[in-house]
Amino acid sequence: MKEPVHKPKYPYAWGVVMAAIAGLYFYLTTTGNKFPEPGPNLEYDITALLAVDQVDTRFAETGEITPAVEMPRALKTDASGNIYIGGKDAIAVYDASGKEIERIPVDGAVTCLDFTPDGRLLAGLDDRVALIGTDRKIEAVWGDFTARSLITAIAAGEDEIFLADAASRCVLRIDYNGTVLNRIGETDEARDVPGLEVPSPYFDLAFDSDGHLWVVNPGKLGLERYRSNGDIVTSWYRADVTRLDSFSGCCNPVQIAFNSEGRLVTGEKGPVRVKIFEVTSGEFEELVVGSSAFQLPQGIGDLAVDPDDRILVLDPKKNSVRIFEANETKMAAKPNTQ
Amino acid sequence: MSERKKIDRRDFMRFTGAAAFTGATWMAVGEKAEAKYWQLDPAKCTQCGQCTTHCVLNPSAVKCLNQFDICGYCDLCFGYLQPGSRDLDSGAENQLCPTAAIERKYIEAPYYEYKIHEDKCIGCAKCVKACLIFGNGSFYLQIRQDICINCNECSIAKSCPSDCFSEVPQSQPYMFLTGDTYLAHPPALS
Ligand code: SF4
Ligand code: SF4
Ligand code: SF4
Repeated sequence: MKEPVHKPKYPYAWGVVMAAIAGLYFYLTTTGNKFPEPGPNLEYDITALLAVDQVDTRFAETGEITPAVEMPRALKTDASGNIYIGGKDAIAVYDASGKEIERIPVDGAVTCLDFTPDGRLLAGLDDRVALIGTDRKIEAVWGDFTARSLITAIAAGEDEIFLADAASRCVLRIDYNGTVLNRIGETDEARDVPGLEVPSPYFDLAFDSDGHLWVVNPGKLGLERYRSNGDIVTSWYRADVTRLDSFSGCCNPVQIAFNSEGRLVTGEKGPVRVKIFEVTSGEFEELVVGSSAFQLPQGIGDLAVDPDDRILVLDPKKNSVRIFEANETKMAAKPNTQ
Repeated sequence: MSERKKIDRRDFMRFTGAAAFTGATWMAVGEKAEAKYWQLDPAKCTQCGQCTTHCVLNPSAVKCLNQFDICGYCDLCFGYLQPGSRDLDSGAENQLCPTAAIERKYIEAPYYEYKIHEDKCIGCAKCVKACLIFGNGSFYLQIRQDICINCNECSIAKSCPSDCFSEVPQSQPYMFLTGDTYLAHPPALS
């Protein structure tokens, strides 16, 4: 008996489907420009946010120093105007004209610098601090402050030294034996201390011209003034990405310094901006330099003001210390901050 | 005195044939052992948005990852919030992500964890760009190898303006962002 022959109903259908799939695959994988471009809903347009700082400034860039140290991260000027740049295993010292005059070897990567009132040098070395004599001999190295420290700023007084510890998210007050006396800035509702928010390894502090300790609260985008015992005296916060008189980003300002008139100079990361504020009120005074002078995205390695009120900015992307000076002949018009 | 063996034409043909066979076999085995996947280098990515639109899959096989050891667990997370958001909460109008793929979870005052739900992520890189500019840069894109169909020639690679794509060995299918690589080579921006 003859077997029945099962003929496919649509003999060419499968072939057509397969050819269509193959054709589509070929089209999609071998031809260009057939995809839609990302629409506005998928774009993150920061043009307007960057334009906030497109205002006139009386500051101009007047000089630059290329640090002769690897991984430069710390910047400080002394009373004579000499410039100290700390990096991996060394601190390079330049005179005000930018000529290298000294090199101080250290053991580790320098994260911050300050001078003691008697002219000795303090260098933060990640989780340690080295005290370097005027003869450049290492007098002491202190460490083991907390279970995990990252020292990002130092402010040295007569009998006490304040360390910004970004890993412990507090300020450590130590004596000249390296002993921790107390911790400052931890949340304490009874004392109205809101708590320092430190989301990134940028955490700065400095004394103002009256010797008051100002600490950046980076996560709250502002500053807090403390007493040695940890009492908070005053604070102000300016969080608004759309305004020049405020700070943008998740954590700013990342660097602070004071000029000879006691004005606060701030440096911001993200869109890099350097600004001047009246420190007690937090009132914005003027822009030093805006984001268009820097490559995005980046931080400021460090910030310093020399005795002539030149503002020095450590620019990690350019690997240089950039110097900005006020042009006194130009009117210091207060920019529109709206 | 040793007699040097004369290599005739037939011996030469045999020798080259054997060499070609051995080479081809080695290459075939070697190639199999060295199977490659497409991947993108987050250090080169300029967040152009084409990873969403140029993948042959819809939604794209490219997803956002959060590198938690770089993340600041920020309250004011620019990768999560629309710039200028007044309220730091999870209201839809405050979220930057077009598909609400990022979950904001309270950890402890004042820190929050940001988790990407990859099933919702379309790889648009908005959050990546925002976090790079205003935050720590912990968000980054990667091709998810369990989703990618490993096209012969990656369709996004052909149009990527930053030459981010390359074929990586099967044993190392991802280019994770680490704290060290981030500090040494901060990602670029368009
Ligand atoms: S196409 Fe290239 S540059 Fe654009 S988002 Fe994708 S990886 Fe980044
Ligand atoms: S913003 Fe874009 S890349 Fe980021 S999680 Fe949402 S869909 Fe993914
Ligand atoms: S290989 Fe294909 S599926 Fe994978 S990311 Fe590229 S285009 Fe998408």
